[in-house]
Amino acid sequence: MKIALSGLNNTDNPAPGIGVAKGLKGHELVGLSYDPNEPGIYQGIFERIFLMPFPSLGFEELRDRLAYIKEQSGIEMVWPNLDAELPLYIKHQEQLHDMGLITFLPTMEQFSVREKRNLAKLCSELGIRHPRTEEVHSVDELVRVLQDFSYPVMIKGNYYKAKKAANFEEAVTYFTEIANEWGYPILVQEIVEGIEINYTGVAQGTLYGGFSIKKLTTTDIGKVWSAVTIKNDAMQELAHRFVEQTKWRGAFELEAIAAKDGIYLIEINPRFPAWIGFSVDIGLNLPKMALQLALGKRVRKKFTYPEQKMYVRYVDELVCDFGKFTQLLSKKEL
Amino acid sequence: MLQELHIDENNVAFVPSLGITFQLNDTGKRILELLQEGRSKDEIVLALAKEFDADWKRVYRDVEDFFLKLKIYGLEQ
Repeated sequence: MKIALSGLNNTDNPAPGIGVAKGLKGHELVGLSYDPNEPGIYQGIFERIFLMPFPSLGFEELRDRLAYIKEQSGIEMVWPNLDAELPLYIKHQEQLHDMGLITFLPTMEQFSVREKRNLAKLCSELGIRHPRTEEVHSVDELVRVLQDFSYPVMIKGNYYKAKKAANFEEAVTYFTEIANEWGYPILVQEIVEGIEINYTGVAQGTLYGGFSIKKLTTTDIGKVWSAVTIKNDAMQELAHRFVEQTKWRGAFELEAIAAKDGIYLIEINPRFPAWIGFSVDIGLNLPKMALQLALGKRVRKKFTYPEQKMYVRYVDELVCDFGKFTQLLSKKEL
Repeated sequence: MLQELHIDENNVAFVPSLGITFQLNDTGKRILELLQEGRSKDEIVLALAKEFDADWKRVYRDVEDFFLKLKIYGLEQ
């Protein structure tokens, strides 16, 4: 099976692609990148690398590029891993199938119900707590809404970025920064005191596998640097309920706060997290499970994994020919 | 939450459902072990006073402090 996947960044702002690739050993992998500086390009994981057009250029650019890549490398499946590109792939997955490219993605409706602006409604349907959240589209609205919040408060983009504002001035600054980069709406969310726990799983109308972690250390922008496996029945039950309610198809990640009065669901990502390689190392290869489901194979459900296994990310170094970098810059492929 | 605590050979208590840890001294470890056996606060005080050959009033104050910490850290309601 020849699979093309994106998300090759492997710095302190890692993307999921390298972790997904870890679970797909034995398959021929092609890397899709947006930046020749992404370390994953040079780690010897991918037999070919192709630079991709930015998602903002639209589907026609993406379609033409994927058609070219298929012709050049014979890819049979495309596996997007980045938030910014997912809407385009999800919206046009039928056309991708018509091109002979397998995907394993949620529907646009499923993608939409877990968007941050719609999450309060979904949480209510799931019977799960959610921090109070208000949607704002202007500084005027922000000022009005902030009068009902106490600090610190979270300022979030609907698709990406979240910052903790300690006071009014910071809230306005973060509102402007995130809106300029990612557009509207912006969400103002109360901060719930508690312990952040995460769950990642794979589903196709029903949950096939998943596991929970507690982050131990993070980078400055909140990315997991070390973590430990945990067994949290409430999270497992929540994952089942989320999948059954939405009939979810594909990978997902739940981010939650375990507070004194129970679990608060704060975010659902429609993809694997960057720490998905952890699943492979604890004997619960979720990317492989996702691939088997995508191919229509029989998959045995699995929720067992060892407790208190620790995940540690670390820095490595490698040396390669500079010509690879320049070839990517000039020819857009390796 | 106390019943699910794992205490390892390094005197670290781990909460398996939340992934949080607490470093214990020998006395704290012993109090948690006795709690997990279902002993009451008074029984724990008497047991520790006997084991450490200490004045039960002094032990009572320390155990009381430890119970307060369990509440502060959310391990005991």
